[in-house]
Amino acid sequence: MRGNFDYSGKLVRFMLRRERIIAAIWIIVLVLFTVALAPGLETMFPDNETRENISLIYDNPIMVSMMGPVYDIDGEYTTGTIYAGMMLLWVMIAVAVMNIFIIIRHTRADEERWRAEVIRSLPVGRLANINAAMLTALIINVILALLTGLGLALTGIESMDFAGSMLYGAVLGASGLVFAAITAVFCQLSASSSGAFGLSFLALGGSYMLRAAGDVGNEVISLISPLGLAQRSMVYAENELMPLWGLLAIAVAFTALAYKLSSMRDLGQGFIPARIGRREAKKSLLSPFGLSLRLLKNSMIVWIICMFMLGVSYGSIIGEIDRFVGDSPAYLTLVGLTPELLDTLSESDKADMIVDGFGGFVTVMMTLIALVPLLMFAMKPKNEEADGRAEGVLSRSVSRPRYLAGYVIITFIMSIIVQLCTAAGLYGMAASNETNPFVFGKMLIAYLSYLPAMWLVVGLAVFIVGVFPKVSGVIWGYYGFICFMMLIGNIPDLLPAWVANLSPFNFIPEIRVTSFDLFPAPAASFTPLIIMTAIAALLVTTGFIGYRKRDLITH
Amino acid sequence: MFMLEINNLTKKFGKFTALNNVNLQVKEGEVFGYIGPNGAGKTTTIRVLLGILQATSGTARIFGMDAWKDAVEIHKRIAYVPGDVNLWPNLTGGEVIDLFVSLRQKSDKAKRERLIEKFELDPTKKCRTYSKGNRQKVALIAAFASDADLYILDEPTSGLDPLMGEFFVEEVLNLKNSGKSVLLSSHILSEVERLCDRVGVIMKGNVIKTGTLDELKESAACADGRLPDSMEELFMRYYKVSEQEV
Repeated sequence: MRGNFDYSGKLVRFMLRRERIIAAIWIIVLVLFTVALAPGLETMFPDNETRENISLIYDNPIMVSMMGPVYDIDGEYTTGTIYAGMMLLWVMIAVAVMNIFIIIRHTRADEERWRAEVIRSLPVGRLANINAAMLTALIINVILALLTGLGLALTGIESMDFAGSMLYGAVLGASGLVFAAITAVFCQLSASSSGAFGLSFLALGGSYMLRAAGDVGNEVISLISPLGLAQRSMVYAENELMPLWGLLAIAVAFTALAYKLSSMRDLGQGFIPARIGRREAKKSLLSPFGLSLRLLKNSMIVWIICMFMLGVSYGSIIGEIDRFVGDSPAYLTLVGLTPELLDTLSESDKADMIVDGFGGFVTVMMTLIALVPLLMFAMKPKNEEADGRAEGVLSRSVSRPRYLAGYVIITFIMSIIVQLCTAAGLYGMAASNETNPFVFGKMLIAYLSYLPAMWLVVGLAVFIVGVFPKVSGVIWGYYGFICFMMLIGNIPDLLPAWVANLSPFNFIPEIRVTSFDLFPAPAASFTPLIIMTAIAALLVTTGFIGYRKRDLITH
Repeated sequence: MFMLEINNLTKKFGKFTALNNVNLQVKEGEVFGYIGPNGAGKTTTIRVLLGILQATSGTARIFGMDAWKDAVEIHKRIAYVPGDVNLWPNLTGGEVIDLFVSLRQKSDKAKRERLIEKFELDPTKKCRTYSKGNRQKVALIAAFASDADLYILDEPTSGLDPLMGEFFVEEVLNLKNSGKSVLLSSHILSEVERLCDRVGVIMKGNVIKTGTLDELKESAACADGRLPDSMEELFMRYYKVSEQEV
């Protein structure tokens, strides 16, 4: 069939134009993250002795199932092998997510909005669109692979040589392409972009689980998973090339399948028949609150499970943490301890203190992650408004405050649920270890003590929705600032105090999560928590008043 | 008694004047046609009436109440079909109809089923799969299934086929016969001709003429006395008039 691919090249240029900002952000963030962490790892594990500690992690099957294998060179670990063992899997997952978005955006999502129809009416080939989407993904993955490889090679770390670094980049790009191709197949099967998203993320999650099962059991199972296969290239150790060829072959095979399926179907149709939905609404939907709950429900469930699982994963390593990180200075800075302080302690107190520091660090991390869904929920009414759907509700007998309240109430309830779930997952898993350093009551208080700070940020989001909906991006900028402050917050004298104090997390009292009580923590003052709650209440109130007074966003 | 009354209504977006001293009245039991080219201010007027936008100056009153302050109370007795129907992609048409009706009153099941059948809508499909016409049907069914005193319909048939357009006219005539009031913005002359008792023409934010359609046609007649026989012609004439006046 001549002409099936006509004008693919022009479409590629068009797609790259649409992608340029998002793809650039993805690539910059991923490459910076990849390159910046390598020197950190080198300082954390400066010599063979400290690197030996890594084997302790890999004695723990739970850790192996989470992280995958780490390879050695003649029984010795290097910074390079540890880096590949700890990083490759997670970065591959991020790259897979990027590819899923790219492919769906240019194929199924465009079809769903009838944009593909306009393109198809031009003299372009029947397969030109999907072909161009795959080529776009290819180009982006190649750029990412090259930059990652070169960046790692340029770190100058001895154990991370040029060949290994380039292989690392290549495996990353190839695994990305595999998920692009798998997504392309799902875009043919499902007739909706949300369906294609669901199936693609299921495949990604499945690949992760398969390799988890294989890595602790039969290794052949890991090879079925693209992620497991990629890890078998043993970057910086054996530098195996076969997995790379394998990944590329899988990508080509799925791409061919996607083209075949695409040529067999009509535009806008899928192979999986759309499920028949409800003819009538359930009673629970029939109120503004019911509607917002319905719109957020799936997202709530997914995030709650994710936070619980994250808690479980951290809980599983807590028993090994003191042996693992030992007195690595980089780690001590991260959790806010000093070597001098540790020297004054007995071995067991030292271990407790390290766990306690780690527990505190995890609490902050988890809270920051939990803020993502909260902010998404708080901003939801603004998106509903901008998409013209709020008008449909507000032109009925529903007041503005009542409409907004649905989302705000759900967001606040969700804040409590996620904190409880994380604490439960973390404590529950730690409790299944032989030695559980955590005290449940203390841990619960530690997690709940972050709520006022979370509420303050959510309150700001509600304020923005109510008063300045046109600059809603500001809230994510503020979130980024808080994250940044948590990362560099423990470095003394880096920033003036007033800058640090712009982050509400700066005011959370230190609360021990273990039974460690050698030095009493500085007396926890709860006054800041009350003040933050008050500010949050004020922001929410102002937001509601603003929302009642302003014009809705219209086109 | 006026169901709807707009006095000297002005709405500005920054420096842009979308509505300039608009005056309109809809009487009880009347179907009022609101016509004008795209971007003239029809939808903005309707959004002010619904309390979605706040008037810069002047008043908009429905049932004698203020459109902005008493929006919730007013909305209990009106039904609205927007020109651009945006629905939730993962709810079905049936669910949205029930939601829309119940946000005002108890739903009348028999009426709902009759309308779904009449407009040939598949209510089990997710809204993301609906075409523009089908989304409009969802909004129309929800409006006609409601028992309201005033119906505000903003270009409700722009995505419907002629047969469905005919069913729409039937339903509006039903409303008229049972004494309901309707504000209908439309581009379709035959629809306006068959339904509307009086018509208002808006151009560039100014209501330049109100009266019966015949009066409007006469005032836009050519020098040789021929009356405009299409909406395009009517608009063209008024364009010329408004160009001269403004």
